[in-house]
Amino acid sequence: MQNGKERQEFLAKAKQLVANIEANDDMAAAELLSSMSHEREESLFKEVGQLTRQLHDNLAAFSLEGQLNNLTDKGIPDAKERLNHVIDMTNEAANTTLNAIDEVLPVTAELQESSDQLLKKWTKFVGRELSLTEFKVMSGEISKFLEDSCKNTKFVHAKANEIVLAQGFQDLTGQIIKKVITLVQDVEYSLVDLVRIAGSADQPKTEVNTAKGVLEGPIVPGIEVEGAVNSQDEVDDLLSSLGF
Amino acid sequence: MKILVVDDFSTMRRIVKNLLRELGFTNLDEADDGQTAWPKLKAGDYDFLVTDWNMPGMTGIDLLKTVRATPETANMPVLLVTAESKREQIIEAAQAGVNGYIIKPFTAATLKEKIDKIFARSTT
Repeated sequence: MQNGKERQEFLAKAKQLVANIEANDDMAAAELLSSMSHEREESLFKEVGQLTRQLHDNLAAFSLEGQLNNLTDKGIPDAKERLNHVIDMTNEAANTTLNAIDEVLPVTAELQESSDQLLKKWTKFVGRELSLTEFKVMSGEISKFLEDSCKNTKFVHAKANEIVLAQGFQDLTGQIIKKVITLVQDVEYSLVDLVRIAGSADQPKTEVNTAKGVLEGPIVPGIEVEGAVNSQDEVDDLLSSLGF
Repeated sequence: MKILVVDDFSTMRRIVKNLLRELGFTNLDEADDGQTAWPKLKAGDYDFLVTDWNMPGMTGIDLLKTVRATPETANMPVLLVTAESKREQIIEAAQAGVNGYIIKPFTAATLKEKIDKIFARSTT
């Protein structure tokens, strides 16, 4: 019973019912009872109907305007692609680095070996223990050693630069992981909204995180970004078409 | 030549600085976003700015616009080194007056080529 008027009417009907029963008017009592229970059913149905409608509207608004659908359709699969790409990039960087080191180590070992050999002969030479024939051999070895040193240090230098460049993965994977963290947060907020809607039928609060001008970050194979270039050459072509 | 390298990832700053050193540039300084870079640029006598785009605080594109809008720095060559690869962004950078645009990951050869191009143009 919601308000005073309804309460009065209900009380009046209840009194009438008692009066009917006391007067042995079973027919009228049964009729009255039936109409009273019918009214109750009607208002209950009305209330359930209203609640159903509200829930339906809220869920519709949620799935259309919120991003749960977007997250499950696109966000989560994209995140998988992104994280797989992170694995690929770290794998590639580790391999590049280890390969470069594999190539460098024998070269430095060889340099060290030749230096050792020469140092021994040089010490003998300084101690005047070297014959003229041995000196001539050593002189040839020194020439070869100097030539090899120039070549090999250049090689080691180039490999060191390869290792430096390979570390770029840290920046690129970092950007990708940041994007996935944002996605996980979006999922969390959406779920909180869903819980709130189920609990109190509030309007969703989630803001869709796909505003225009959002920076896309590194290119991830398998994820199409509309209007993105695929290589430095395409950047150069675009800029030269703009008069660069 | 005094160069400022701006990137929010310290590894990338080290990489770019390393490569620049390889190319013979030794007077190098760094900043981790536009907000920390701008006071340095305004106060210091930098000749060249190498910046990332996507950084917290102040982005590279905003830094570029600020540099161009300030008379003391308006003519400074600016090279963007970024993972952003959308055409509309490259065009936006070009319109803002960028001198070169490199997408990550990049090679040492690309960096050299763009820098050569920037300075060949600015000296002629």
